Amino acid sequence: MSASVSRRGRLGRTLLSTLAVALVAVMLLPVLYMVMMSFKSGAEIVRDPLGLPEALYLGNYANALSKMSYARSVANSVGITLSVTLLVSLVGALAAYPLARRTTGLSRALVLLMALGLSTPNFVTITPIYVIFRDLGLLDTYLGLVLAFTALNLPLAVFFYTGFIGSIPIELDEAAKLDNCSDLQVFWHVIRPLLGPATATLSLFVMLNVWNDFTYPLLLLTDEDKFTVMISVYRFVGNHNLSPEDLFPAAVLGSLPLLLLFLIFQRRIVTGVTAGAVK
Amino acid sequence: MRSYRIYLFTVPAVIVLGAFFVYPILLSGRLSFTDFTGVGVANDVGWKHFERIFTRSRYVDALKVTLLFTLVVVTVQTAAGLFFAAILHRLPAVRNFCRAALFLPAMMSFVIVGYVWQFIYSPFDGALNSLLGALGLGFLAHNWIGDPSTALYALAFTHVWMFVGYTTAIFLAGYAAIPREYDEAARLEGTTGWQRFRHIEVPLLAPSFTINVVLSTIGTLKTFELPFIMTRGGPDGATRTLSLHIIDSLFGKYQFGFASALSIVMLILVVLVAWAQNRVLRARETRLRS
Repeated sequence: MSASVSRRGRLGRTLLSTLAVALVAVMLLPVLYMVMMSFKSGAEIVRDPLGLPEALYLGNYANALSKMSYARSVANSVGITLSVTLLVSLVGALAAYPLARRTTGLSRALVLLMALGLSTPNFVTITPIYVIFRDLGLLDTYLGLVLAFTALNLPLAVFFYTGFIGSIPIELDEAAKLDNCSDLQVFWHVIRPLLGPATATLSLFVMLNVWNDFTYPLLLLTDEDKFTVMISVYRFVGNHNLSPEDLFPAAVLGSLPLLLLFLIFQRRIVTGVTAGAVK
Repeated sequence: MRSYRIYLFTVPAVIVLGAFFVYPILLSGRLSFTDFTGVGVANDVGWKHFERIFTRSRYVDALKVTLLFTLVVVTVQTAAGLFFAAILHRLPAVRNFCRAALFLPAMMSFVIVGYVWQFIYSPFDGALNSLLGALGLGFLAHNWIGDPSTALYALAFTHVWMFVGYTTAIFLAGYAAIPREYDEAARLEGTTGWQRFRHIEVPLLAPSFTINVVLSTIGTLKTFELPFIMTRGGPDGATRTLSLHIIDSLFGKYQFGFASALSIVMLILVVLVAWAQNRVLRARETRLRS
């Protein structure tokens, strides 16, 4: 091949790369717009709806922070998210162990149950869950919300761990059994310590689902003190006559924790979600 | 029997899923034939709710809206995801950066995305109309989510914007699994980039195609938050989806029987569509492989 061809190839590739980055940047404009608008006063939004903010006006944030009880709702969301993550990974990993190690009909039946759980929209179960929670006194409780989210995320966790445990050599189990370890001891002392990477990826995924969910807390919570972040955003911004001075700071405050998490763990999140989907 | 003792490990998971997944579905099936409103006894009403769903235009329209929305989103999102993946696959230098950037909107909640895009589409000071005006295209300005003929497509665009990074990432994983030799051999034969895409990459990406279509279909058939936040199902029912009806019959109305019937219709819809897609797309995979 002559040098000119490869140089032309390189030039074309640089051009194409620039175009691709520009295209992706356009896709990110709405996020940039959200941040920009949150720093504009109402008058400035009307005067200049598209431009960069003239100054970093913080009045909208002060107003949003005082009215949407942000700290309280963040504490609620963090508490619920962490409880669900903990429960889902513990219960999920436990259930995955026999499914990864035994290929009986029972295993197949349980895997089928998980597959059904994974593909059934929660709108199918939301009405009866409301009725059941009402009868059990779980409406408007943290426990109820945690249980509902745990059931919603558990099938994914079981699939995830089953695949992961399946790749751990069974010889490790057998060696421990020769030392008279029970199944529970093998799981706890041999398998569980190896699950770190899977748990990390799964946790990010569960956090994403629980933090961003709107439907369950909307339906199951009425006490303002228990509101999650998304419900406070919704209650604060409302449905009629959107006010941009309220909307944009609330949107930034609501997404900030996950956007930060994404900046730190983006590679793990993207590959983890992809691997979860491909499996 | 000893070998079955290990299944005790699945008991907590089975209890959680039994109580909050299997039992609710059974209860839903039972309630869908009653007029249960939360208090008193539930009277049997037979197939009344289902008759109402399939004869009243209000609910038939919601089924049509749900299916059209899904069709538009799945088609556009799969095509756009394949487009981005095909470009980024050829550009290793910017691939990971662009993949992460495209993925970013999926980190945001439907609630927030809904609000931000509601303002972008707003006829007053909204970003889209302001942008069109600034570009000298002011005549294209439109009340995007206020007009029944464009509202559903505007919502579909927002949904695709949110999840196209997902689709792209799955296609890129598919690309990574294509052996390099195929590409090199085709290059030696002097094929063009388009020929390689059409005759080598597209057939080999068939499994990623299946995953993307099935996943986005399941995710889109239950669409609730975007219409709930952005349009409340309006204008004129143009964005009123099945799940919006489910929530509407619960909130304030406590029509548990009717809401359950709607849920059962949604379950059957999802099962049928996912089953049909799986069949067709798996057959396509086998055909393309040979």
